[in-house]
Amino acid sequence: MSEPLLVLDNVTKNYGAIEALKGISFSIGKGEVVALLGDNGAGKSTLVKIISGGLEPTSGRMLFEGKEFLARSPAEAKAAGIETVYQDLSLCTNVDVVANFFMGREITRKVLGIPVLDERAMEAVVSKALASAGTRIPSLRTKVEHLSGGQRQAIELNRFVHWGGKLVLLDEPFAALGVEQTRRGLDMIRQVAGQGIGVVIITHIMQQAFQVADRIVVIRQGVVAGDVARNKTSPDAVINMITGETPAGAGPAG
Amino acid sequence: MNPRTRHALELVLDNLVWFMLVFVLVVFSIFIPNYFQLGIFANIIEASSVLGVMSIGLALVIIAGHMDLSVESVAALSAMAVGILFCSSGIGLGVQLHPEWLMVPVSLLLALAVGCLIGAFNGFLVVKVKMSAFIITLASYIWVRGLVLVISGGRSAQDLAPAIRWFGIQRLIGLPLTAWIAIACFVVFSLIMAKTPFGRHLVMIGGNETATFRAGIRVNRNLIIAFVLAGAIAGLAGWLLAIRTSGATANLGVGLLFNAFAAVVIGGVSLKGGVGTLPGVYAGVLLLSAINTAINLMGLPANFTQVIHGLLVLAAVLLDAFKQTIRQRLA
Repeated sequence: MSEPLLVLDNVTKNYGAIEALKGISFSIGKGEVVALLGDNGAGKSTLVKIISGGLEPTSGRMLFEGKEFLARSPAEAKAAGIETVYQDLSLCTNVDVVANFFMGREITRKVLGIPVLDERAMEAVVSKALASAGTRIPSLRTKVEHLSGGQRQAIELNRFVHWGGKLVLLDEPFAALGVEQTRRGLDMIRQVAGQGIGVVIITHIMQQAFQVADRIVVIRQGVVAGDVARNKTSPDAVINMITGETPAGAGPAG
Repeated sequence: MNPRTRHALELVLDNLVWFMLVFVLVVFSIFIPNYFQLGIFANIIEASSVLGVMSIGLALVIIAGHMDLSVESVAALSAMAVGILFCSSGIGLGVQLHPEWLMVPVSLLLALAVGCLIGAFNGFLVVKVKMSAFIITLASYIWVRGLVLVISGGRSAQDLAPAIRWFGIQRLIGLPLTAWIAIACFVVFSLIMAKTPFGRHLVMIGGNETATFRAGIRVNRNLIIAFVLAGAIAGLAGWLLAIRTSGATANLGVGLLFNAFAAVVIGGVSLKGGVGTLPGVYAGVLLLSAINTAINLMGLPANFTQVIHGLLVLAAVLLDAFKQTIRQRLA
C-alpha cells in the first residue's frame, strides 16, 4: 500500500444507547480502491457520513494526509478534497443537467466586473464528460426531473469523476444502473484511482467489489470484521466475514 | 407523448401568464369602450410600478423556498421615514439639503437602509435560529406596521420635496421615471436570477436545499442575502410609494402584500420554491393592473376590486397546483 491518505483510528458513533460504530480502524491509501462491505445495518453508511461531514463521530480520530481531520459540514470535507456520492441522490431536479453538474462550482466570466454564468463553456465540459463516460442524455438543457433514475445516477457519477479531489466516497452508486452503465462506472472508478485518488465504495454486490477493489473491508455489528487484499481472499471467505461464520477480525491481515 | 408536443406544452406552461395577459388585454380592448388607448396602456404600466418592485423581492425569497410577508410594512416604514424627513407639511420635518438634488440619493439610501435592516433581521432569524419564515415575517409584517403608526402618531406627511417628486412627474416616452425605475429593476434582477451564480444558487436552494448544502454552496449566506435584498427592494418600493402619493400616511400601502402575493403566484412562481422567473412576475403584475383598470373603466364600485383580487389569488394558487399535476404527467 502507498502512503495512507485517510486513517481512521477507533472511530465510534452512538445514537443514544445504541452503538452504531463500536470502534472502526482502517486506512485508505492514495490511488487505492477500498470496497466497504457488510450486511444491512452494519454501519457502512454511518461511517461514510462521518468521513464526509454529515455526522460527527462520538469518539475516535481521523488523519487525512497525515493531519488530524474532522469535517463539521459537507462543505468542509469538500474543501479538504473529499467528494461523496450519496445513496439518495443529491440533485436539484428543478434545474437542468449542466446546472447540476456544476452545482456550486459554476464557470463564470466577468462582465463589467460581475461574474456571469458561462453557459456555453459549462455545456461543453458536461457534454465532453458525459460522452467520455458513454452516458447518453438527450439534451443537457433538460430539467433533471424529466430524466430516469439511471440517468440521474449517471450524472452524479460523472460529476465525481470530473471533480475528483483526493478521496471519493461512493455509497451504493450503481443501484439504479444497467449492466453496461455499471461496467462503465467500474471503469470510471479504476480510472479515478489511477490518478492517485483514493476511493471508498460501498456495495452489496460481491462481484462488483472483486472487480474493482484493491482491498476489501468488511464491517459487521459496528466493528471491522475483515480487512484483506482482494487477491488474497475469495468471495466465499468474504461472505463468511459478513455473516460472521469466521470470528470478527480473523481474516488474514492485508 | 412525443418530445415536440411536450416541449410546446412546457413552453406554454412556463409562459402561461404572458398568454393570459395578452388574452385579457385583447378581451378588454374589444368589450370595454375606451380601453384600447395608448394612454390606458401607459397607465397600466405606471400604476404597477410600486407593486412590481415589491413583487420582485417577494419572488426572490419564494423562489429560494421561503416566504417574506413583511415587504408591505417595510415599504410603508421606508415611505414614512422619507415622508417625515423630506415633506414640508403634516408631520413632515421639511429637511432641506443643498444642493437640492442631494435629497434624492439621501432619501433613497434611507429607504434602502430601512429595508436592508429589517430584511437582515428576518433573514438572521429564519436562517440562524431556524424558525419558519412564515411566522418570522408575519411578526415583522405586524410590528413594522406598528412602528409606522408609532413614529407617525397616526398622522400623515404631505408635500414631498419637489426634487424627489420630480421622479414621479418627469416623463420619458410617455412613462414617468418611477415606472422606468420599476422596469429597470425587473431587467436587473431578471439578469441576476438567470445569469449569475447567485441567482442559480437561489433557484437550486429552492429546489433541494440538502443537495446544495452537500455540494458546498453556502446556503445560509445566500438565504440571508435574499432576505436582505427583499427588504431593500421593499424599501425602494416604499420610496416610489412616497413619490407617488407625495408623502406618507400611516396606512400607506395596506393590502399591497396580497396583490404582490397574487402577482408572484399568477406570474408562475411556485410556493414550493425553485420554480419561477421574474419576467413572469412582471407579467403577473401587469395582469393585475390591467384588471384594475378595467374595473375602473367599467365604473364598478371600488369595493368590487377586493373581491376580485381575492378570487384571483385563489385562482392563482389553484392554477399552481394544476400546473404541477400537468408537469407530473409530462415527466
